[in-house]
Amino acid sequence: MTAVAVPAARTRARAARPALVRLGTSVMVLWGAVTVAFAGLHLTPGNVVDLLIGSSTVTPEVRARIVADYGLDRPLVVQYLTYLGRVLHGDLGQSYQLHQPVASAIGAQVGSSVQLMLSSFTLAVVVSVTVAVLTAGRRWARAVFSGIELVGVSIPSFWAGILLLTVFSFGLGLFPATGGDGPESLVLPSVAMAIPVVATLSQVLREGLELTLEEPFVLTARSRGMSDLGVRLRHALRHALIPAVTLAGWLVSYLFGGAVIIESVFSRQGIGRLTLAAVVNKDLPVVMGVVLIASLLYVVINILLDLLYLAVDPRLRGA
Amino acid sequence: MSRSRLLPAGLSLFLLLTLAACGTRGEKSAAAGAAGPVKGGTLTFAVNTEPSTCLDPHQSPADVAGLFTRPALDSLVSLDAEGRIHPWLATKWTVSPDQKTYTFTLREGVKFSDGTPFDAAAVKANLDHIVAPATKSQLAAGYIEPYKGSEVTGPLTVKVHFGRPYSPFLSALATAYFGIESPRSLKQPQDALCKKVVGSGPFVIDEYVQQKSITYHRNPGYDWAPEGAGHTGPAYLDKLEIKVITEDSVRLGALTSGQVDGIASVPPVNVKQVRADPRLTVTTRQAPGGNYNYYPNTTSGPFADKRVREAFRDGIDFATIVRNLYFGAFQPAASPISPSTDGYDRTLEGRTEYDPAAAGRLLDEAGWSGRDAEGYRTKDGRRLTIRWGFLKAAAREQRDTLAEQIQAEAKKIGFDVQFVAGTVNEWLERYPKGDYDLVDFSWQRADGDTLRNLFGTSSIPTAAKFGQNAARLSDKDVDGWLSDALDTTDQAKRAELYAKVQQRVTGEAAVFPVYVFTYLLGASRKAHGIGWEPQAYPTFYDAWVEQA
Repeated sequence: MTAVAVPAARTRARAARPALVRLGTSVMVLWGAVTVAFAGLHLTPGNVVDLLIGSSTVTPEVRARIVADYGLDRPLVVQYLTYLGRVLHGDLGQSYQLHQPVASAIGAQVGSSVQLMLSSFTLAVVVSVTVAVLTAGRRWARAVFSGIELVGVSIPSFWAGILLLTVFSFGLGLFPATGGDGPESLVLPSVAMAIPVVATLSQVLREGLELTLEEPFVLTARSRGMSDLGVRLRHALRHALIPAVTLAGWLVSYLFGGAVIIESVFSRQGIGRLTLAAVVNKDLPVVMGVVLIASLLYVVINILLDLLYLAVDPRLRGA
Repeated sequence: MSRSRLLPAGLSLFLLLTLAACGTRGEKSAAAGAAGPVKGGTLTFAVNTEPSTCLDPHQSPADVAGLFTRPALDSLVSLDAEGRIHPWLATKWTVSPDQKTYTFTLREGVKFSDGTPFDAAAVKANLDHIVAPATKSQLAAGYIEPYKGSEVTGPLTVKVHFGRPYSPFLSALATAYFGIESPRSLKQPQDALCKKVVGSGPFVIDEYVQQKSITYHRNPGYDWAPEGAGHTGPAYLDKLEIKVITEDSVRLGALTSGQVDGIASVPPVNVKQVRADPRLTVTTRQAPGGNYNYYPNTTSGPFADKRVREAFRDGIDFATIVRNLYFGAFQPAASPISPSTDGYDRTLEGRTEYDPAAAGRLLDEAGWSGRDAEGYRTKDGRRLTIRWGFLKAAAREQRDTLAEQIQAEAKKIGFDVQFVAGTVNEWLERYPKGDYDLVDFSWQRADGDTLRNLFGTSSIPTAAKFGQNAARLSDKDVDGWLSDALDTTDQAKRAELYAKVQQRVTGEAAVFPVYVFTYLLGASRKAHGIGWEPQAYPTFYDAWVEQA
């Protein structure tokens, strides 16, 4: 019994160590992100109470009240430690500007952003896989689509958004100009957001496909009488996916940043506009809440990507 | 330095002057033809900004909170375009001989939409709520600084006491910032009021969703419209929705494609296009209060010399630049306050003239007679540099383009204008210290007392107290006239005093008036009866839409 159990435990320990290291670094990433955000916002000139009051004329009593309510009279270190302590208890604090807890401010906006990101991500993957599979190694189609992709990567999403609105909403009246009501309002923002993603992703996929299609095993597969499309889908695509999966890390940050622009153009609710307003107004608790959520998402996505590599490439599983 | 409100506009100078007086009504009723108002339907209006920090106008620093809550809130009195006060929730009022106490008799039978009856205690609860430190009021409380307290003298009579005579009280009371909220609703925590406000108005707020819209439904029992409204009884519309569309071109597209019935802030460049569309109209209203002006720092730097200030004002053709940039949509300003402000001095129009040669002579006299290699004027080897606290991030209505054109024009007469504001935070530290030569902003307020905000010694900004006297002007005569104007409710006397202030500050060149802020409202011809409130925000009580 014991002779069998010991190696099993050892294997488990060996498997657990990287997982623990991973967990440790993830926590460090989150702590680092929050600390940098806190430092950044406090090191920029100007103080928070001036910003809270802005150009309004308030009596000294109101000013004192604001300072006391937000604990702005305490030393920076105390404010920082208090914040960290609260975050550990799952409390993101109270927004300076929005008169509500940060968690509920983010909670109210996150759904609409996630909807947008998921739909544009799905759209981008479907379109770019289709385009890449159909055009890889085919001279004319390749040339045409490369041109289109170059344009797609180059145009600013702000402009693309306005163009889509002008044609499909103001002109043809097919979709509403403002977002948030039903699935039809999700179409144009998703397309606008997916354009640069499609353009990049399909280039990377096609490149991978073309390299793979020259491999000897493809010739073997063809010689077995497999159809061209079958070869591309069953064999080549899997190889081409590895670099594309790596790109997904970049994608998440793009979608987060792109949300700021797309949500503004399409008057959608969402994290992007919330963040923009919070940064402009120096609404510290909200900015730090968003930073925390974004870095959490980053950590989770990277862990998922590692797992995805294993799923896509069986050769990595033994390692 | 600019208020959170955006107010672009657009129309030729001609139309603007004639229309400002008669407002929307004439144009609208002509379009309505014989078919009278229709009951029912929904009106959707799109605005460019929202009071995202707080909906409650008692607390909110955002003046657009007034637009969002006006449909749901009534005031004690109303103010018309000529500056006259009319009864609303108060049927009559008297002012004590020492001008320190106002006694209001209230309307009977008014109910808030939560069922609470309106009475004298409700008025006291509202005024006390506005000034309570816990409310942290950033706008409303500033309008009744000398407020001492309210006294309920009967179920429907209330006395309001002030520490000194305070004549702007009634016009402040007419704004939505003094809208009467249900006392039961006021008992909630402040944060809850920022989401929902309950009043006795013609509409009831359903829900305010930040970054999206606010929706209302009709208050069926409404029967206390202000004197001068287009009708009595409940509002015509079943529902009202105000959408937030911040992007100018998208808001305009939503209007031209019929997705909304009206929009705020038609971009000046598009006014012609909207007017040419047979399905649409553009109406305008000049906002009361301080125009969009530039204020020179009269206490330090080159502008401490009056001759240099005059040279800057007369050596640059402000009027032509404004007309060209805004396609005639905004009237070039002549006084620090707008023509729609009570007490505006019309005689100032056309008094200053563009005269670069005279400006050059003034600068020579002031000692700025040298020229350096780049063509800027110098004095004792120092260049004539103007440090302008211009906040690019807060610029709207192409004020940044305007500033650059002014900079280029100033160069021609030898001024080196530099933008120095930095970020909002940096600027907020710099401004109270007077560390600048020039500042620009507009300041809306429906009363001539605006002049006290802009030029009173007491509103010179300091580290302890933010203020709007950016020129840092301290003039005993001006202070005296402003104080005298507070002491009297006689409109003619006040106008005379405010005229003196305007003449003095323009004579001293303590302000460079730029343009008159004008609200530009684009609407479908199927939408009728959109009115205006004192702060030049649209109102929807009389509004109705033609059913398809």
